[in-house]
Amino acid sequence: MKILKLLLLPAMGATIAGAFLWPEPAAGFLGESSRIVFFHVPCAWTASLAFLVAAGYSAAVLVRGKAWHDDLAASAVRVGLLFAALALVTGSLFAKIMWGSYWNWDPRESSFLLLLFLYAAYLFLRTAIEDPARRRRIAAAYALFAAVLMPFLVFVAPRVTQSLHPQTVINPEGRVLMDTPTKTVFFASLATFTGLFLWFLSLDARSARLQREGTSPAGNAEGARRVAVI
Amino acid sequence: MCSALLWVLLFFSAATGLPRAFVREEESGTALALRLVAPAAAVVAGKSLFNFVLFAAISAVTVPAFALLLGWRVEAPLALAAVLLAGGAGLAVVSTFLSALVARAAQKSVLFVIVSFPLVVPLLLPAIAGTIAASRGETPWLALRVLGAYAGAAACGAYILAFAAWDE
Repeated sequence: MKILKLLLLPAMGATIAGAFLWPEPAAGFLGESSRIVFFHVPCAWTASLAFLVAAGYSAAVLVRGKAWHDDLAASAVRVGLLFAALALVTGSLFAKIMWGSYWNWDPRESSFLLLLFLYAAYLFLRTAIEDPARRRRIAAAYALFAAVLMPFLVFVAPRVTQSLHPQTVINPEGRVLMDTPTKTVFFASLATFTGLFLWFLSLDARSARLQREGTSPAGNAEGARRVAVI
Repeated sequence: MCSALLWVLLFFSAATGLPRAFVREEESGTALALRLVAPAAAVVAGKSLFNFVLFAAISAVTVPAFALLLGWRVEAPLALAAVLLAGGAGLAVVSTFLSALVARAAQKSVLFVIVSFPLVVPLLLPAIAGTIAASRGETPWLALRVLGAYAGAAACGAYILAFAAWDE
Protein backbone atom coordinates (compact mmCIF):
# COMPACT_ATOMS: atom_id res chain seq x y z
CA MET A 1 0.00 0.00 0.00
CA LYS A 2 2.97 2.31 0.67
CA ILE A 3 4.13 1.95 -2.94
CA LEU A 4 0.61 2.71 -4.17
CA LYS A 5 0.49 5.81 -1.97
CA LEU A 6 3.84 7.00 -3.32
CA LEU A 7 2.77 6.38 -6.91
CA LEU A 8 -0.55 8.18 -6.46
CA LEU A 9 0.97 11.63 -5.95
CA PRO A 10 2.81 11.85 -9.31
CA ALA A 11 0.00 9.94 -11.06
CA MET A 12 -2.68 12.37 -9.85
CA GLY A 13 -0.45 15.34 -10.68
CA ALA A 14 0.18 14.02 -14.20
CA THR A 15 -3.53 13.27 -14.69
CA ILE A 16 -4.60 16.78 -13.64
CA ALA A 17 -1.91 18.41 -15.79
CA GLY A 18 -2.76 16.16 -18.73
CA ALA A 19 -6.49 16.83 -18.37
CA PHE A 20 -6.02 20.60 -18.65
CA LEU A 21 -3.08 20.79 -21.08
CA TRP A 22 -2.96 17.88 -23.51
CA PRO A 23 -6.24 17.02 -25.32
CA GLU A 24 -8.18 19.66 -27.24
CA PRO A 25 -11.69 20.42 -25.89
CA ALA A 26 -14.22 18.06 -27.50
CA ALA A 27 -16.41 19.38 -30.31
CA GLY A 28 -20.06 20.06 -29.50
CA PHE A 29 -19.42 21.21 -25.92
CA LEU A 30 -19.34 24.78 -24.61
CA GLY A 31 -15.85 26.14 -23.91
CA GLU A 32 -13.61 23.84 -21.90
CA SER A 33 -16.53 22.01 -20.26
CA SER A 34 -15.70 18.68 -21.90
CA ARG A 35 -12.56 18.41 -19.73
CA ILE A 36 -14.77 17.46 -16.80
CA VAL A 37 -14.98 13.97 -18.35
CA PHE A 38 -11.49 13.30 -16.89
CA PHE A 39 -12.84 13.73 -13.34
CA HIS A 40 -16.60 13.13 -13.52
CA VAL A 41 -16.54 9.72 -15.21
CA PRO A 42 -13.70 8.32 -13.02
CA CYS A 43 -15.66 9.43 -9.92
CA ALA A 44 -18.79 7.62 -11.16
CA TRP A 45 -16.70 4.56 -12.15
CA THR A 46 -14.96 4.48 -8.76
CA ALA A 47 -18.30 4.77 -6.93
CA SER A 48 -19.74 1.85 -8.91
CA LEU A 49 -16.56 -0.17 -8.33
CA ALA A 50 -16.70 0.60 -4.60
CA PHE A 51 -20.30 -0.65 -4.37
CA LEU A 52 -19.33 -3.85 -6.22
CA VAL A 53 -16.38 -4.34 -3.85
CA ALA A 54 -18.81 -3.85 -0.94
CA ALA A 55 -21.02 -6.58 -2.44
CA GLY A 56 -18.00 -8.89 -2.77
CA TYR A 57 -16.97 -8.42 0.87
CA SER A 58 -20.62 -8.74 1.94
CA ALA A 59 -20.76 -12.15 0.24
CA ALA A 60 -17.57 -13.03 2.14
CA VAL A 61 -19.27 -11.96 5.41
CA LEU A 62 -22.17 -14.34 4.75
CA VAL A 63 -19.86 -17.21 3.79
CA ARG A 64 -17.14 -16.81 6.42
CA GLY A 65 -18.69 -14.46 9.00
CA LYS A 66 -15.48 -12.51 9.60
CA ALA A 67 -15.78 -9.04 11.12
CA TRP A 68 -12.83 -7.79 9.04
CA HIS A 69 -14.78 -8.43 5.82
CA ASP A 70 -17.66 -6.43 7.28
CA ASP A 71 -15.24 -3.55 8.05
CA LEU A 72 -14.07 -3.65 4.43
CA ALA A 73 -17.65 -3.76 3.05
CA ALA A 74 -18.75 -0.79 5.17
CA SER A 75 -15.59 1.14 4.26
CA ALA A 76 -16.13 0.44 0.55
CA VAL A 77 -19.66 1.88 0.85
CA ARG A 78 -18.43 4.98 2.72
CA VAL A 79 -15.69 5.63 0.14
CA GLY A 80 -18.13 4.84 -2.68
CA LEU A 81 -20.56 7.42 -1.32
CA LEU A 82 -17.79 10.03 -1.31
CA PHE A 83 -17.03 9.36 -4.99
CA ALA A 84 -20.75 9.19 -5.86
CA ALA A 85 -21.25 12.63 -4.28
CA LEU A 86 -18.25 13.96 -6.25
CA ALA A 87 -19.72 12.49 -9.46
CA LEU A 88 -23.01 14.27 -8.75
CA VAL A 89 -21.28 17.59 -7.98
CA THR A 90 -19.07 17.47 -11.09
CA GLY A 91 -22.09 16.41 -13.16
CA SER A 92 -24.09 19.35 -11.81
CA LEU A 93 -21.28 21.77 -12.73
CA PHE A 94 -21.30 20.39 -16.28
CA ALA A 95 -25.12 20.61 -16.39
CA LYS A 96 -25.01 24.28 -15.36
CA ILE A 97 -22.60 25.12 -18.19
CA MET A 98 -24.29 23.00 -20.88
CA TRP A 99 -27.98 23.09 -19.98
CA GLY A 100 -28.20 26.23 -17.82
CA SER A 101 -29.24 24.56 -14.56
CA TYR A 102 -27.42 22.58 -11.88
CA TRP A 103 -30.24 20.04 -11.70
CA ASN A 104 -32.48 19.01 -14.64
CA TRP A 105 -34.16 15.79 -13.40
CA ASP A 106 -32.35 14.01 -16.21
CA PRO A 107 -32.82 10.20 -15.91
CA ARG A 108 -29.08 9.70 -15.40
CA GLU A 109 -28.86 12.42 -12.74
CA SER A 110 -31.91 11.05 -10.92
CA SER A 111 -30.84 7.42 -11.09
CA PHE A 112 -27.38 8.27 -9.75
CA LEU A 113 -28.98 10.24 -6.90
CA LEU A 114 -31.09 7.16 -6.11
CA LEU A 115 -27.92 5.07 -6.12
CA LEU A 116 -26.47 7.47 -3.54
CA PHE A 117 -29.63 7.13 -1.41
CA LEU A 118 -29.50 3.34 -1.81
CA TYR A 119 -26.07 3.12 -0.20
CA ALA A 120 -26.69 5.93 2.30
CA ALA A 121 -29.57 3.72 3.49
CA TYR A 122 -27.01 0.92 4.04
CA LEU A 123 -25.22 3.11 6.59
CA PHE A 124 -28.56 4.03 8.26
CA LEU A 125 -29.41 0.32 8.48
CA ARG A 126 -26.09 -0.43 10.18
CA THR A 127 -26.64 2.22 12.83
CA ALA A 128 -30.12 0.87 13.64
CA ILE A 129 -28.91 -2.62 14.64
CA GLU A 130 -27.00 -2.90 17.90
CA ASP A 131 -25.94 -6.55 18.00
CA PRO A 132 -22.66 -6.73 15.99
CA ALA A 133 -23.21 -10.24 14.60
CA ARG A 134 -26.76 -9.45 13.45
CA ARG A 135 -25.63 -6.08 12.05
CA ARG A 136 -22.96 -7.82 9.96
CA ARG A 137 -25.44 -10.34 8.56
CA ILE A 138 -28.27 -7.89 7.85
CA ALA A 139 -25.95 -5.27 6.33
CA ALA A 140 -24.36 -7.92 4.11
CA ALA A 141 -27.80 -9.13 2.94
CA TYR A 142 -28.85 -5.55 2.15
CA ALA A 143 -25.60 -4.78 0.29
CA LEU A 144 -25.99 -7.90 -1.87
CA PHE A 145 -29.68 -7.21 -2.54
CA ALA A 146 -28.78 -3.63 -3.49
CA ALA A 147 -26.04 -4.96 -5.81
CA VAL A 148 -28.59 -7.22 -7.56
CA LEU A 149 -30.84 -4.21 -8.29
CA MET A 150 -28.04 -1.65 -8.87
CA PRO A 151 -27.76 -2.42 -12.63
CA PHE A 152 -31.35 -1.16 -13.04
CA LEU A 153 -30.27 2.22 -11.66
CA VAL A 154 -26.94 2.43 -13.49
CA PHE A 155 -27.75 0.83 -16.84
CA VAL A 156 -31.51 0.41 -17.35
CA ALA A 157 -33.24 3.50 -15.90
CA PRO A 158 -31.09 6.07 -17.80
CA ARG A 159 -31.68 4.23 -21.09
CA VAL A 160 -35.44 3.69 -21.07
CA THR A 161 -36.23 7.42 -21.32
CA GLN A 162 -34.74 10.30 -23.31
CA SER A 163 -31.64 11.78 -21.63
CA LEU A 164 -29.66 14.99 -22.09
CA HIS A 165 -26.53 13.22 -20.88
CA PRO A 166 -23.75 12.85 -23.48
CA GLN A 167 -23.13 9.35 -24.79
CA THR A 168 -21.21 7.36 -22.20
CA VAL A 169 -18.14 5.17 -22.58
CA ILE A 170 -20.52 2.20 -22.50
CA ASN A 171 -22.57 3.03 -25.62
CA PRO A 172 -24.69 1.01 -28.06
CA GLU A 173 -21.81 0.93 -30.58
CA GLY A 174 -19.52 -0.60 -27.93
CA ARG A 175 -16.69 1.76 -29.00
CA VAL A 176 -14.70 4.40 -27.11
CA LEU A 177 -15.53 7.55 -29.07
CA MET A 178 -12.38 9.58 -28.21
CA ASP A 179 -9.19 10.72 -29.94
CA THR A 180 -5.84 9.33 -28.73
CA PRO A 181 -4.81 12.12 -26.29
CA THR A 182 -8.28 12.18 -24.72
CA LYS A 183 -8.33 8.40 -24.51
CA THR A 184 -4.86 8.30 -22.89
CA VAL A 185 -5.65 10.89 -20.21
CA PHE A 186 -9.09 9.40 -19.62
CA PHE A 187 -7.83 5.87 -18.95
CA ALA A 188 -4.90 7.21 -16.90
CA SER A 189 -7.45 9.09 -14.81
CA LEU A 190 -9.57 5.95 -14.37
CA ALA A 191 -6.50 4.05 -13.16
CA THR A 192 -5.47 6.88 -10.80
CA PHE A 193 -8.94 7.19 -9.28
CA THR A 194 -9.05 3.41 -8.83
CA GLY A 195 -5.72 3.61 -6.98
CA LEU A 196 -7.09 6.46 -4.87
CA PHE A 197 -10.10 4.31 -3.99
CA LEU A 198 -7.89 1.40 -2.91
CA TRP A 199 -5.84 3.71 -0.69
CA PHE A 200 -8.94 5.31 0.89
CA LEU A 201 -10.46 1.84 1.38
CA SER A 202 -7.35 0.60 3.15
CA LEU A 203 -7.22 3.67 5.44
CA ASP A 204 -10.93 3.60 6.32
CA ALA A 205 -11.08 -0.17 6.85
CA ARG A 206 -8.04 -0.10 9.14
CA SER A 207 -9.58 2.77 11.10
CA ALA A 208 -12.89 0.83 11.38
CA ARG A 209 -11.01 -2.27 12.55
CA LEU A 210 -9.18 -0.35 15.26
CA GLN A 211 -12.41 1.25 16.43
CA ARG A 212 -14.10 -2.15 16.57
CA GLU A 213 -11.23 -3.65 18.54
CA GLY A 214 -11.17 -0.65 20.87
CA THR A 215 -14.92 -0.58 21.56
CA SER A 216 -15.83 -4.29 21.59
CA PRO A 217 -16.36 -5.93 25.02
CA ALA A 218 -13.49 -8.25 24.19
CA GLY A 219 -11.29 -5.31 23.24
CA ASN A 220 -8.15 -4.90 25.26
CA ALA A 221 -6.00 -1.99 26.35
CA GLU A 222 -3.81 -2.49 23.29
CA GLY A 223 -6.79 -2.01 20.97
CA ALA A 224 -7.82 1.18 22.79
CA ARG A 225 -4.25 2.48 22.60
CA ARG A 226 -4.13 1.89 18.81
CA VAL A 227 -7.41 3.79 18.36
CA ALA A 228 -6.01 6.66 20.41
CA VAL A 229 -2.97 6.79 18.11
CA ILE A 230 -5.26 7.20 15.04
CA MET B 1 -51.25 12.86 -14.52
CA CYS B 2 -53.94 10.26 -13.66
CA SER B 3 -51.43 7.41 -14.14
CA ALA B 4 -48.94 8.90 -11.70
CA LEU B 5 -51.74 9.68 -9.25
CA LEU B 6 -53.02 6.09 -9.49
CA TRP B 7 -49.60 4.65 -8.59
CA VAL B 8 -49.14 7.12 -5.74
CA LEU B 9 -52.57 6.02 -4.46
CA LEU B 10 -51.76 2.31 -4.87
CA PHE B 11 -48.36 2.70 -3.26
CA PHE B 12 -49.70 4.49 -0.20
CA SER B 13 -52.63 2.05 0.09
CA ALA B 14 -50.24 -0.90 0.02
CA ALA B 15 -47.54 0.82 2.11
CA THR B 16 -49.58 0.42 5.30
CA GLY B 17 -49.62 -3.37 4.93
CA LEU B 18 -46.50 -4.40 3.01
CA PRO B 19 -43.83 -3.44 5.59
CA ARG B 20 -45.72 -5.28 8.36
CA ALA B 21 -45.01 -8.74 6.92
CA PHE B 22 -42.26 -9.62 9.39
CA VAL B 23 -42.66 -6.84 11.95
CA ARG B 24 -46.03 -8.37 12.94
CA GLU B 25 -44.32 -11.72 13.63
CA GLU B 26 -41.73 -10.09 15.87
CA GLU B 27 -44.29 -8.00 17.77
CA SER B 28 -46.70 -10.89 18.35
CA GLY B 29 -43.87 -13.21 19.43
CA THR B 30 -44.49 -15.77 16.65
CA ALA B 31 -41.20 -15.16 14.84
CA LEU B 32 -39.30 -17.88 16.71
CA ALA B 33 -41.99 -20.49 15.97
CA LEU B 34 -41.93 -19.51 12.30
CA ARG B 35 -38.14 -19.83 12.24
CA LEU B 36 -38.39 -23.34 13.70
CA VAL B 37 -41.08 -24.73 11.40
CA ALA B 38 -40.07 -23.40 7.98
CA PRO B 39 -36.88 -22.56 6.08
CA ALA B 40 -36.19 -18.84 5.59
CA ALA B 41 -36.57 -18.98 1.79
CA ALA B 42 -40.03 -20.57 2.13
CA VAL B 43 -41.09 -17.92 4.67
CA VAL B 44 -39.90 -15.04 2.46
CA ALA B 45 -41.54 -16.62 -0.62
CA GLY B 46 -44.81 -17.14 1.26
CA LYS B 47 -44.87 -13.62 2.68
CA SER B 48 -44.05 -12.20 -0.78
CA LEU B 49 -46.93 -14.15 -2.28
CA PHE B 50 -49.27 -12.89 0.44
CA ASN B 51 -48.15 -9.30 -0.18
CA PHE B 52 -48.64 -9.76 -3.92
CA VAL B 53 -52.21 -11.03 -3.37
CA LEU B 54 -52.80 -8.11 -0.97
CA PHE B 55 -51.59 -5.65 -3.63
CA ALA B 56 -53.76 -7.32 -6.30
CA ALA B 57 -56.81 -7.09 -4.01
CA ILE B 58 -56.11 -3.41 -3.26
CA SER B 59 -55.72 -2.75 -7.01
CA ALA B 60 -58.96 -4.60 -7.82
CA VAL B 61 -60.85 -2.21 -5.54
CA THR B 62 -58.84 0.99 -6.06
CA VAL B 63 -58.42 1.08 -9.85
CA PRO B 64 -62.14 0.82 -10.84
CA ALA B 65 -63.08 3.31 -8.09
CA PHE B 66 -60.32 5.67 -9.24
CA ALA B 67 -61.41 5.42 -12.91
CA LEU B 68 -65.06 5.97 -11.97
CA LEU B 69 -64.49 8.93 -9.67
CA LEU B 70 -61.97 10.73 -11.87
CA GLY B 71 -63.56 9.82 -15.21
CA TRP B 72 -60.28 8.17 -16.24
CA ARG B 73 -60.60 6.14 -19.45
CA VAL B 74 -58.28 3.18 -20.13
CA GLU B 75 -58.09 2.13 -23.79
CA ALA B 76 -56.14 -1.11 -23.10
CA PRO B 77 -57.39 -2.60 -19.79
CA LEU B 78 -55.53 -5.89 -20.26
CA ALA B 79 -52.24 -4.03 -20.71
CA LEU B 80 -53.04 -2.03 -17.57
CA ALA B 81 -53.72 -5.28 -15.67
CA ALA B 82 -50.36 -6.66 -16.85
CA VAL B 83 -48.56 -3.49 -15.68
CA LEU B 84 -50.32 -3.65 -12.31
CA LEU B 85 -49.40 -7.32 -11.84
CA ALA B 86 -45.76 -6.85 -12.87
CA GLY B 87 -45.39 -3.70 -10.76
CA GLY B 88 -47.20 -5.32 -7.85
CA ALA B 89 -44.94 -8.39 -8.00
CA GLY B 90 -41.80 -6.24 -7.77
CA LEU B 91 -43.25 -4.08 -5.02
CA ALA B 92 -44.32 -7.14 -2.99
CA VAL B 93 -40.93 -8.87 -3.24
CA VAL B 94 -38.85 -5.77 -2.46
CA SER B 95 -41.11 -4.74 0.45
CA THR B 96 -41.18 -8.24 1.93
CA PHE B 97 -37.42 -8.70 1.83
CA LEU B 98 -36.73 -5.25 3.29
CA SER B 99 -39.37 -5.88 5.96
CA ALA B 100 -37.42 -9.00 6.99
CA LEU B 101 -34.22 -6.95 7.19
CA VAL B 102 -35.64 -4.19 9.40
CA ALA B 103 -37.88 -6.46 11.55
CA ARG B 104 -35.45 -6.49 14.48
CA ALA B 105 -33.89 -3.05 14.02
CA ALA B 106 -34.60 0.10 16.01
CA GLN B 107 -37.18 2.56 14.59
CA LYS B 108 -38.48 0.07 12.03
CA SER B 109 -41.05 2.33 10.34
CA VAL B 110 -38.63 5.17 9.60
CA LEU B 111 -35.90 2.74 8.62
CA PHE B 112 -38.21 0.89 6.25
CA VAL B 113 -39.03 4.14 4.42
CA ILE B 114 -35.32 5.02 4.17
CA VAL B 115 -34.24 1.62 2.82
CA SER B 116 -37.24 1.08 0.55
CA PHE B 117 -37.40 4.48 -1.17
CA PRO B 118 -34.36 4.01 -3.49
CA LEU B 119 -35.49 0.47 -4.39
CA VAL B 120 -39.16 1.26 -4.99
CA VAL B 121 -38.78 4.43 -7.10
CA PRO B 122 -37.05 2.55 -10.00
CA LEU B 123 -40.12 0.32 -10.02
CA LEU B 124 -42.68 3.13 -9.93
CA LEU B 125 -41.20 5.03 -12.90
CA PRO B 126 -41.67 2.26 -15.54
CA ALA B 127 -45.00 1.36 -13.88
CA ILE B 128 -46.25 4.92 -14.42
CA ALA B 129 -44.88 4.94 -18.00
CA GLY B 130 -46.63 1.62 -18.67
CA THR B 131 -49.91 2.88 -17.20
CA ILE B 132 -49.77 6.00 -19.40
CA ALA B 133 -49.22 3.81 -22.48
CA ALA B 134 -52.06 1.44 -21.50
CA SER B 135 -54.47 4.32 -20.95
CA ARG B 136 -53.69 5.48 -24.51
CA GLY B 137 -54.39 2.02 -25.93
CA GLU B 138 -50.73 1.05 -26.54
CA THR B 139 -49.08 -2.13 -25.30
CA PRO B 140 -46.23 -1.03 -22.99
CA TRP B 141 -43.70 -3.73 -23.90
CA LEU B 142 -40.64 -1.82 -22.66
CA ALA B 143 -42.22 -1.01 -19.28
CA LEU B 144 -43.41 -4.62 -18.90
CA ARG B 145 -39.95 -5.96 -19.73
CA VAL B 146 -38.29 -3.62 -17.21
CA LEU B 147 -40.88 -4.36 -14.51
CA GLY B 148 -40.65 -8.11 -15.15
CA ALA B 149 -36.85 -8.10 -15.07
CA TYR B 150 -36.82 -6.00 -11.88
CA ALA B 151 -39.33 -8.27 -10.14
CA GLY B 152 -37.44 -11.37 -11.32
CA ALA B 153 -34.05 -10.07 -10.15
CA ALA B 154 -35.51 -8.96 -6.81
CA ALA B 155 -37.23 -12.35 -6.33
CA CYS B 156 -34.00 -14.27 -7.04
CA GLY B 157 -32.00 -12.00 -4.71
CA ALA B 158 -34.60 -12.24 -1.93
CA TYR B 159 -34.85 -16.03 -2.25
CA ILE B 160 -31.09 -16.56 -2.11
CA LEU B 161 -30.49 -14.03 0.69
CA ALA B 162 -33.53 -14.99 2.78
CA PHE B 163 -31.40 -17.05 5.20
CA ALA B 164 -29.30 -13.98 6.06
CA ALA B 165 -32.31 -11.73 6.53
CA TRP B 166 -34.47 -14.05 8.59
CA ASP B 167 -32.49 -16.85 10.25
CA GLU B 168 -30.65 -16.33 13.53
